[in-house]
Amino acid sequence: MSELDSGIDTEELRDAARRLLSDKVDRRAPWEDRDGGRAEIESAMSDLGWYLLTIPEELGGLGQNFDSLAPIYEEAGRALLPLWPAGTMAAIDVLAADGSQEALTALQAIAEEGHRIATVILPADASLQSARISMVPGADLATHLLLIPESGDACHLLAADAAGISIEVVETWDRSRSFADVVLSDMPADAVRIALPESLALARAHGELALAWDCVGAAEQCLTETVDYMMGREQFGRSIASFQALKHRAADHKVALELARSLAGHASAAYAQKSGGWAEIATQARLMAAGAFRSIAEDSVQLHGGVGFTWEYDCHLFLKRALVNEMLDGAPETLKDRIAEALLERAMSSRN
Amino acid sequence: MKESDSIEALRREIREWLAASLPKDWRDRQRGDDIPGFLAMQREFFAELVAAGYATPHWPKEWPGGGKSLAEQIAIFEELARAGAPRMSLFFVSLYHAAMTLVECGTDAQRKKHLPAILNGEVWCQGFSEPGAGSDLAALRTRAVRKGDHYVVSGQKIWSTLGHFADQCLLLVRTDSSGPKQAGITFLLMDMKSKGVEVRPIKQITGDEEFAEIFLDEVEIPVENLVGVENEGWKVAQVTLSSERGLSLVELTERMALSLWQLVDTASAGGEGFSAIDIATRREIVDISGRIEALRAMLTTLMANRIAGREAIGDASILKLAYSRLSRDFTALGLRLGGKAALCDTHYTLGAGYETGNWMFDFMNSYQYNIAGGSNEVQRNIISERVLKMPREKMA
Repeated sequence: MSELDSGIDTEELRDAARRLLSDKVDRRAPWEDRDGGRAEIESAMSDLGWYLLTIPEELGGLGQNFDSLAPIYEEAGRALLPLWPAGTMAAIDVLAADGSQEALTALQAIAEEGHRIATVILPADASLQSARISMVPGADLATHLLLIPESGDACHLLAADAAGISIEVVETWDRSRSFADVVLSDMPADAVRIALPESLALARAHGELALAWDCVGAAEQCLTETVDYMMGREQFGRSIASFQALKHRAADHKVALELARSLAGHASAAYAQKSGGWAEIATQARLMAAGAFRSIAEDSVQLHGGVGFTWEYDCHLFLKRALVNEMLDGAPETLKDRIAEALLERAMSSRN
Repeated sequence: MKESDSIEALRREIREWLAASLPKDWRDRQRGDDIPGFLAMQREFFAELVAAGYATPHWPKEWPGGGKSLAEQIAIFEELARAGAPRMSLFFVSLYHAAMTLVECGTDAQRKKHLPAILNGEVWCQGFSEPGAGSDLAALRTRAVRKGDHYVVSGQKIWSTLGHFADQCLLLVRTDSSGPKQAGITFLLMDMKSKGVEVRPIKQITGDEEFAEIFLDEVEIPVENLVGVENEGWKVAQVTLSSERGLSLVELTERMALSLWQLVDTASAGGEGFSAIDIATRREIVDISGRIEALRAMLTTLMANRIAGREAIGDASILKLAYSRLSRDFTALGLRLGGKAALCDTHYTLGAGYETGNWMFDFMNSYQYNIAGGSNEVQRNIISERVLKMPREKMA
């Protein structure tokens, strides 16, 4: 399973990602007003060829599927990566599935000219000529935007600095990553149209899976650091990690984490092979992983005692990332409502 | 032929066999208020399974149906579950715990005597737990004293699954109290018709009597019924306890996945007395279906690791906690959707999965998974201490 078709080993990818990110990511930097070296990390990621992994081979890529990205997203979460590679990666899936000449040209530009894309989902009631889409992940660092209307209309791929587009960086509680509002006042005439009906489902599922793995990686790191802290913290003459009431909470978190990992793995395989229900199961994977991550991060604050409430300790880095991961592109209830119908219908039809 | 092709072929073969052989009326014949009917139906379907070779895939290959890989065993369980076949509750301990213990640790004479008998329907139970030895099984106190060519055994066993129908018992006794508690335990085979054996079924919160207490008063057990070495029965017991290898969870989870959609189907169609599916319930269905899929994926990984011989410490505990909590939440959903009808429907089916719609029974029954095979609290100790490496409790 870990050996991909062209001989790329997912475990080697994971090791490389873990080494790179533990070396380059200074996760405290955004919280201490230091430069976190985002540009340097971005170029190191490009140098390692991450953006080539899923680009078709005939366009200079490595022709892999989502299996090669899952370990990268998981390691990104573990390291609290301050970047959003998933925007470009999701766009690659949409463009490759579309396969039109314009799409292939755009893919080539990602491979060769370093185009980096933010995927922007345009709400059904918004117009291409006048809209503000708030808190788009990583839009400030993107060279291009892929606008995907929820209405099902054609997508538009355009330069982020085109006339009629403005990108306004927003400050959020989660300093570990950047967000920007995308304001549309006019659609540039040279925007590339991508009329692939599946665009929205593909981009959304990719985004959900990226978030699910981010949650799994970050939650595991958070749990590990919390247990480590508990081992070293003594009260009443013993390590607090020896108290059964606390051990059992840690064990429950571990169970939730492993279930989330299992579902993320299953959902990733379904997405890679486009097997039955891939779109809904991707959302379920994110819901479960985000729920596990949030509850681990919340309890991490409590299990650290007083210091968990300080800026100096890292509990809040995880907690803020967890809350954002759970809310992006819709709160849990919204996501459940979005997939419930399709999920129920598919399940019933498979029964009959 | 690739392995996956041969598994597919096996699946097709079972499906065809089930289409022809599965009695359509089995649920009516395994009603909780008709124990003789339950026993007869179990025996009838068991005999068919044995004849077809689907009861013994895990046995050595010299036995009919034996010598199948774990992947094939999983496929058989999944197909039986998907077809809604009765669970082989009456014979599960015989086929797995008893047979595997005898295969791995028994004498030739013991195997010759009991393995063919098991295929003919000999029912076994387990005499492990005691009132004072549950999660702390090694603290067991039932005494056995060797007198000539017999052990004389006195004590009390509890939680023996279907012990009141059993012909034979896998019995753990204490033969030495001088050393550490795991040392001094001996593994015996006991004929349930022996003088001095008294069995009392335990009525559970479901109203069903699935478990039994076994009282032993100077029961004589021949020395040839010793399994392994005297005072080294703890090792044999580990073989017994690991004999089913997670297959029952594979089966139960598969049955749960099917039943969820059956439940939703019935409720959506406005089944009689059912609550309507409102928005909060739809959200809960999304959650539960995600948890079922997660559990199935986790089981698939765990079973693959078992096949490859690289299971990690604590995996089984994680799985068991996940299953027991899901079982409760899932049946609670069924109970709520079932509405008043579920509260009034006091009839239930034995040996079924979750498909019967006896939601109160299934909900009450789900509590057993929090305890059986090591309570959830013990599983949490294992996960925190052996997986997360948190300090161990001081043990007595």
